[in-house]
Amino acid sequence: MQVRSAFAIQRDVIFAIFIREISSRFGNNYAFGNVWLLLEPLVLMTVFIILFGFRGIATLGNIAPPVFIVITYVPFRMLWGSTMKKAMGAAGARGLFGFRQIRLFDVFLAHALIEGGVYLTVKSIILITLLWFGFEALPSDPLLFLGYASTLWLFAVSFGILACMVSRIAKEVEKIINIMTLPLLLMSAVIYPITVVPTQYLNFFSYNPLAHASELLREAWIEGYVSPIADFEYLVTWTLVLMAMAMSAYRLNWRWVIAT
Amino acid sequence: MISLQNVSKYYPTRFGPNYILKDLNIDIPDDRDIAILGRNGAGKTTLMRMIGGIDFPTRGRIVSDRFISWPLGIGSGFNGVMTGRENVRYVCRIHGVKDIKPVEEFVRDFSEIGENFDLPIGSYSSGMRMRYGFAVSMGFDFDTYLMDEIMAVGDADFKKKCNDTLKNKRETSNIILVSHNMDNIREHCNAAILLAYGRAEFYESVDQAIYRYMRS
Repeated sequence: MQVRSAFAIQRDVIFAIFIREISSRFGNNYAFGNVWLLLEPLVLMTVFIILFGFRGIATLGNIAPPVFIVITYVPFRMLWGSTMKKAMGAAGARGLFGFRQIRLFDVFLAHALIEGGVYLTVKSIILITLLWFGFEALPSDPLLFLGYASTLWLFAVSFGILACMVSRIAKEVEKIINIMTLPLLLMSAVIYPITVVPTQYLNFFSYNPLAHASELLREAWIEGYVSPIADFEYLVTWTLVLMAMAMSAYRLNWRWVIAT
Repeated sequence: MISLQNVSKYYPTRFGPNYILKDLNIDIPDDRDIAILGRNGAGKTTLMRMIGGIDFPTRGRIVSDRFISWPLGIGSGFNGVMTGRENVRYVCRIHGVKDIKPVEEFVRDFSEIGENFDLPIGSYSSGMRMRYGFAVSMGFDFDTYLMDEIMAVGDADFKKKCNDTLKNKRETSNIILVSHNMDNIREHCNAAILLAYGRAEFYESVDQAIYRYMRS
């Protein structure tokens, strides 16, 4: 045994959980095994794109409906939904806490990295496929888009950690958050542009940070689109506040959360 | 030295806190092999888990500068979906061992599970799993090994192998053992901690501790 710094231990542990997770999330009964890590979101997204993308949905400018869906639905579903749920359920993975080196926070980080990586991969595959079929599926400002996507990802991680901590007090919190997924999808301007909302209700919609995220992603993707509500500062403030709360809750409670 | 300072552990129940251990103050010396004695529910496993760093005292702290193994024998941190080999790699990564190949070979040979080494450990029998778990921990050089009822399963041959290996290991490192088998304890340990009535007492002599344990 050699002495390692705290940072080195954390790096090693996150890598170990990362490998463990991608080689065991889907058990031995799946014919395609670990391919499902990418296949599952790909199939899900494809179904959704076919369902909604080719109907005459509200879109913006000359953006094709499938591309319009891809811009916001994929980040919402994967960066927000999956990342948040993985973080929320991280304390349930009892089997991980059999070694002293592994702390709950490493599990959060490893899951967050996996979900972020899966998002990038799946999104790239979808975009390449759309390009192959002749759609114009490239963002006008890729870097800005990635920046907004990362903010949404951080928002999801912070929210998930906080939810994980709070749900230890009352498990119902998890239930409520799961129930809220669909209403949130409908209220967050994911499958329609916020411009279809009557102006007198815009104010109400603009309280939702996820609606801001959707609109920001759209602004970065669609050239010349200026959203009536998108406010990066608002989203960042939410993210920072959530993150501070998540860190404090973690700091106070992490022993209790994984205690048997 | 593993030093327990005012260690208390309770579980909240609807009748209020249920204390397993209360205000323990014990220094476990580096040169002794310790047995932990106590009735069912006295907190032996909890104490092991806390020394192993996978559970935490409600109050107080446990200080040590030694490399302590994970508690062997209790349902451990292996993943049932991954193969024996993958699990060895996983444990190596966690412990920062860069040279994984020799450990893999060691575990494969020592555990004597043959081809099963490359099958998911969820499919192992309990005996195989025990052999495997023991082999993995022997693949690392810890200062202190924590063993919880490790000798309870396994056939005669493997028990002998365990005993021989433990004797070898005790030359360079020491063990903390939980067992209900007094012969095992007499063979491997030269000091004991008796847990009873939420208290713990350190005994320099194993026989004396066993005598007290039988009458507690």
